[in-house]
Amino acid sequence: MFQIASWHDAFASPVTTMLVIAVAAVLAAALCVVAAVSVIGRVSSALRHELWLRLGSWVLLLPVMIVPVLIGRAWTIAVVTLLGILCLREFSRATGLFRQPVVVAMVVAGLLAVNFAALDHWYGFFVAIPPLTICLISVVSIPQDHPDSYIERTGLGVFAFMLFGSGLAHLGYMANDLNYRPIVLMLLLCVALNDVLAFTVGKLIGGRKLLPLTSPGKTISGAVGALILIAPLVAFIAHHIFIGTLMDRWWLLLFLGALVSVAAQAGDLMLSSIKRDLGIKDMGTILPGHGGILDRYNSLLLVAPATFHLIAYFGGFGLDQPVRLITGP
Amino acid sequence: MTDEKSSGWELRTARDFNIPFAASLRSHKREPGLLSVMGHALWLGCVRAYLKTAHRLQVTGGAHLPADAPFVIVGNHTSHLDVLSLTASLTHRLAHRATALAAGDVFFRTTRSAMFAAAALNALPIWREDTSLADPAFLRSRLMEDRMVFILFPEGTRARDGVMKRFRPGLGAFVAGTDIPVVPCFLTGAHACWPPQRRLPRPGPLHLAIGPPLRFDAVGNDPHGWKEVARQTEAAVRALGPATTAPGGSPSAPPA
Repeated sequence: MFQIASWHDAFASPVTTMLVIAVAAVLAAALCVVAAVSVIGRVSSALRHELWLRLGSWVLLLPVMIVPVLIGRAWTIAVVTLLGILCLREFSRATGLFRQPVVVAMVVAGLLAVNFAALDHWYGFFVAIPPLTICLISVVSIPQDHPDSYIERTGLGVFAFMLFGSGLAHLGYMANDLNYRPIVLMLLLCVALNDVLAFTVGKLIGGRKLLPLTSPGKTISGAVGALILIAPLVAFIAHHIFIGTLMDRWWLLLFLGALVSVAAQAGDLMLSSIKRDLGIKDMGTILPGHGGILDRYNSLLLVAPATFHLIAYFGGFGLDQPVRLITGP
Repeated sequence: MTDEKSSGWELRTARDFNIPFAASLRSHKREPGLLSVMGHALWLGCVRAYLKTAHRLQVTGGAHLPADAPFVIVGNHTSHLDVLSLTASLTHRLAHRATALAAGDVFFRTTRSAMFAAAALNALPIWREDTSLADPAFLRSRLMEDRMVFILFPEGTRARDGVMKRFRPGLGAFVAGTDIPVVPCFLTGAHACWPPQRRLPRPGPLHLAIGPPLRFDAVGNDPHGWKEVARQTEAAVRALGPATTAPGGSPSAPPA
């Protein structure tokens, strides 16, 4: 029987408790700062409005991110699946892939299958789904007898599946580990914090632009500053999560921290490249102050598979847990 | 040396990109996604089964339908069964490109009815009380660029007495000066089964006659040309119906 099955174990790890308290404290502090700024009135009304919008979005987003992880494994995987579908929807509307419904249908089928493999805790199926889905995406539109744009629609379909299906599903698969809550929370929160730090340090220090044609607002100082601040923070938290395991070596923990920061920024720049190519500013309007779902979660897309395979190499996920919970005998 | 060849693909964002959901339901920019396509396919399957069992729908002249979009289907309008029958007469591939231009004040008044009209009927609204001049031009460009099939009832509303009325010239704004085929159709029996006065339809035979397509590439895209399009199309539709469909004739009766 699974050891992590209910919300009763939500705070079994002290790191989980620490992270949730830290988030609540940061939100409360941000609330006080924004309220103080609004009362004092030393900022423009437009900026004040923007600050409240962003804070309001975070007040909504953070519980949506944290609560399912605390509740349990199935909820975590369900929310990751939903996140993948929402990201796929925004991506397909932005790129025009939605005009190829059979390709999108195959991407959705692959996305559901790979997340089902995570829910089933069947690693063999989990790693088999991506190549099989790519094969199916490659052939599914051939019977239409419309070879024009075959490469484009197939390439976009494979790209979408790898990012929002296979890539994100790694985050859900982590929930099969007995100690998944602090790991997933650490990744979610540190990726979000990485974005905030890159923006803040960039504004404070300024200097040369990182990639001005791709993302005019990002600076080298912001990118390096986020890396310098996030890597030791992740290493510190991860040390308390992986204490006594093969992962618990200072250089490996620092590498994990650097990987989180670099992969998060790479994901951000990847979406910026997509948006510049399409000539659009945001991927949606659903999150005031942020844009679309993808604008908020782009940093997570590459972090999930990158950190999963690093941690899995040195320890694995859920190796001591029963497998094939749904399809098994 | 390789031959240069355009693939025809462009990374073109959805026309209704970043339009809020409720607004996109009523927008002429709305483009169906996977869910809408699935909803429309499911609805179409149910409609075909219903028309076959409850109305024994017979279609003659199906060979006149163009093999590929874009084109416009026009018909007489006495009942909500009209649009269902015309859509059901299309092949699966063309049916998914078909868009009924429906009365906004009837089908898009509430969000719930707009969701049904958008997802199941794949309809776009025509606001009879507030038609801006820009709408026909935009819909004309969508018809051509997105290779759509428009289903139109140029009488403007369901004939309360079942007698076909004069066609309004608005149809011409979509096709005048283009080689887009206009396919005339006449549905008989619909008024007897589901007249505007009834809430629900009753079973009864339906017969859909499809005529050869008309083209208006030599007609000017101006008010005079639009009237000419309406006149010719109305005559072609009337010619498909029983002799009593001349203006002032009696309601179309079900076929014997």
